[in-house]
Amino acid sequence: MSDPKKDVSEFNEVPEAEVRSRKRHFSISIVWLVPLIAVLIGGWLVFKAFSEKGPEISITFKSAEGLEAGKTKIRYKDVELGQVTKIELTEDLSMVVVTAELVKQAENFLSVNTRFWVVRARVGVSGVSGLGTLFSGAYITLDPGEPGNISHYFKGLENPPLVTTDLPGRHFLLKTESRGSLDIGSPVYYRRIQVGQVVAYDLAEDGQTIIFKVFINAPYHEYVYQNTRFWNASGIDFKIDTQGVQVDTESLVSILIGGISFGIPHEAAPSPTAEGEAVFNLFKNQAEAKARTYLVRTKTVLYFDESVRGLDIGAPVEFWGIQMGQVLDVKLVFDNDKKDFRIRVLVETETERFYEAGFVGSDVDRQKMLEGLLARGFRAQLKTANLLTGKQVVILDFFPDAEPATLTNEGGYPIFPTVPAPMVEISTKFMQILDKIDRLPIDQIGKDLRDTVHGAKQIAESPDILEAIRNLNATLAETRLLVSDLRTKVTPEINSVLEGARQSLANAEQILNADSPLQVKMNTALEEISGAARSLRLLMDYLERHPESLLRGKGQAE
Amino acid sequence: MSRVLKTAQNQGLVSCHTCHLLCRSAGPDAIMTCPRCGTRIHRRKPNSIKRTWALVIAAFIFYIPANVLPITIVVSLGQAQSDTIMSGVIYFIKSGMWPIALVIFVASVFVPLLKLIILTILLITVQRKSSWRQKDRTRLYRITEVVGRWSMVDIFVVTILVALVQLGGLASIQAQPGAVFFCAVVIITLFAAMSFDPRMIWDTEESLNE
Repeated sequence: MSDPKKDVSEFNEVPEAEVRSRKRHFSISIVWLVPLIAVLIGGWLVFKAFSEKGPEISITFKSAEGLEAGKTKIRYKDVELGQVTKIELTEDLSMVVVTAELVKQAENFLSVNTRFWVVRARVGVSGVSGLGTLFSGAYITLDPGEPGNISHYFKGLENPPLVTTDLPGRHFLLKTESRGSLDIGSPVYYRRIQVGQVVAYDLAEDGQTIIFKVFINAPYHEYVYQNTRFWNASGIDFKIDTQGVQVDTESLVSILIGGISFGIPHEAAPSPTAEGEAVFNLFKNQAEAKARTYLVRTKTVLYFDESVRGLDIGAPVEFWGIQMGQVLDVKLVFDNDKKDFRIRVLVETETERFYEAGFVGSDVDRQKMLEGLLARGFRAQLKTANLLTGKQVVILDFFPDAEPATLTNEGGYPIFPTVPAPMVEISTKFMQILDKIDRLPIDQIGKDLRDTVHGAKQIAESPDILEAIRNLNATLAETRLLVSDLRTKVTPEINSVLEGARQSLANAEQILNADSPLQVKMNTALEEISGAARSLRLLMDYLERHPESLLRGKGQAE
Repeated sequence: MSRVLKTAQNQGLVSCHTCHLLCRSAGPDAIMTCPRCGTRIHRRKPNSIKRTWALVIAAFIFYIPANVLPITIVVSLGQAQSDTIMSGVIYFIKSGMWPIALVIFVASVFVPLLKLIILTILLITVQRKSSWRQKDRTRLYRITEVVGRWSMVDIFVVTILVALVQLGGLASIQAQPGAVFFCAVVIITLFAAMSFDPRMIWDTEESLNE
C-alpha cells in the first residue's frame, strides 16, 4: 500500500494534465508590489505628519470655559491653525494650561508678541460678538503681533484685544488725573464720528496720573496733530447760561460707557501730524480743552496769619483780574519759632502767562526782575471774591507800603511773601466810625433834652392853663346849647323848605317833559321866532343891496 | 514513519480548481492546464507563502493609519468632530452602550488584528515545516476565512451613514482617510487568507515521509 509505483498505476485512467510551455518567470513576484505600495503610502503619511507637525504651544488662561481637549480649534481669520490637545491646571490651581498643536505654517508668526484669546459669545454695551460660537463652540484665536523672539509659551488674554496688528492706524497716549467713566473699549470721536477706541489704561509710574492708550483707526489718525487736544466726552454736558440751556453729548454710547473726543483749538496754528505713541493731555471737557492752556506750572507756598475761610482748593490765583493759577492745598501748620499757628497755602501758577506777557530772559534775569517787583511791594493777598458766599481768592498785587520781603525756599517750593487781607482795613474804618460816634456831644444833647422836657412840664402845671381849660369848658357848654337850638328850631324850617323845593322840582320836571303843553308851545314859539329871524335876515340882505328902498320903497322891476 | 497517508500530492495527482477534475501531474515545475475546462491548475496555490507574506505585511502597514487616522468626521451645527475607531469605541463605552462598543471593537479592531496574527503564525510554522498542532492551525485558518469578511461591517456602516446623514448645516457625516485604510486592511487580509494554501500545513508530514 505504501509503494508509490503501485499507487501510480492505480490512477492510470486519470487524465494527464496538459502541459503548457513555460513562460518567462519573474524571480520576484508581482504580489510584493502590494506591501511596497503600503510602505510607500505609510511612509508618505508619516512624512506628511512629521512635515506638517507644527510647534506645540502652551497658553495659560484663567478658565477653560468652553474649551475641550481634542475638539477646540485654534483659528486665525477663520482658518484652522491647530487644535487643543490637552487642558490641565497649573500646579497651584490658579490657572489653566491649554496645550495646542499648531500647523507648521503657524511657526512663522509665533513670537513673544503673539496674543491668544478665546472667542466666545460676548454681549457688551458697545456690541455683540461671537454669536456663531453659540453653536460651534468656543475657539481660540490669535493676533500674530509684531515679529519678535520665538516663544511657545503664552499668556492668554481674558478679553479679546480691541486692536489687532493688521488694523491700520496709530496708538496715542493720553495723560489725565482720573479715570472718570472711561474704560477699555470707550469710543474716541472726531467730529462725532467714531474713529477709534480706548485700548488700555494704566497708572503712570509715578502713580500720579493715569495713562490711557487709544487707537485711532486709519485714515483718521492723520487728523491728530501735535497740537491736537483730547478731552473727555463722557456723559452729558449740561450748561445753563444767559443763552439758555445747552445740552452737549457725543452719542448714546458715550453716555453709557464714556468717550473721548479730539480736535484742535480755534486759535491754534496748523502743526505736523503727531507720531505714533505721542503723549497728549486728556482734558476734563471740551471747554477746558479749547481754552488756552499753559502746561508749565510752578508751585509756590504762601503763608497767611489769618483765617482762610472761603478759600477752597482750586480757588483762582489772580493778578489784576487775570487768572494765573489755582490753589492746590490749604493746611494748618504750627510755627515753632513764633509759637503760633499759620496757614500754609500751596498754589500753582501758570508761569507761561508771565513769560507771554514779556517777562522773559534768563533765569537769573528773571530772579532779579522778581526781586525788583518784590521790592516794589509785589505780594499775595487773600481777597473775598464773593460777598454773598464768602469765597476767597488769592490775588497778586503791588502794595507799596508792605514790609520788605524776599523769596525764601521751603522743601523745594519758593515761599512768596503775603500781606494781610483787606479785612483788616475794613475793621480800621469801622474803628474810625466808632471814634466819630464817640466824639458826638451826647451829654449836651441829653441836657438840652432834659431842659426842654422840664419847660414843658412847667407850662403844663401853670394856673393859666387851668383857667384856659375852664373857659374852654364854658365855651363848649354854650356851643352845645347853640347846637340844640339849631336842632329844635332850625331843622323843621329847613325840612319845609326842602319840601317846597322838592315840589318845585317836580313841577319843573313836569313842565320840561317832552309831551307837556308848555314844551309844545315853546317849540311852536321857537319856530315862529326862527321864521321871524329868517324874514329879518332877508330884509336886512335886501336893505344892504338896496338901501334906497328905505326912502323910495320897494321899487318896480326896471 | 510507519503511517503514510495517501495524498494527491504524493500520488502525482492534481485537482482542477474550477471543475475539480482529477488529473495526473506532469511534473513538479510544469505549467499545467485542466484537460476538461482549460483552467490553469497547480499542485498547490502558486507562490502561496510569498503572496501571503506580502499581503500580510501590507495589511500590517495599513493597519496603523487605519486606527490612527479618523474614519469619520461628524459636522453638527458647525461643530466638527472627527473620530477614529478607538475614539468611537471609547465614546460608546462612556455613554454606557457596552454591546455596541463591544461589536465595534471586535469587528473592527480585534478581528483584523487576530487575522493578521493567525496568518503570520501559519506562515511562520509552514515555512519552518513545523508539525506542531496541525489540526488546530487548520481550524484557525478556517476561523480566519469565515470571520474575516465581517470586518467590512464597519465600512458598510460608514458608507451608509455618509450617504444618509447629509442634512446640510444641521448635521453631516463625511468619511475620512482612516476609512480607506481600514477598508484596505480588510480587503488585503481577505486576499491574504485566500492566497494561503492550508494544505501546506500538512505537506510537512509528506516531506517527513519522503
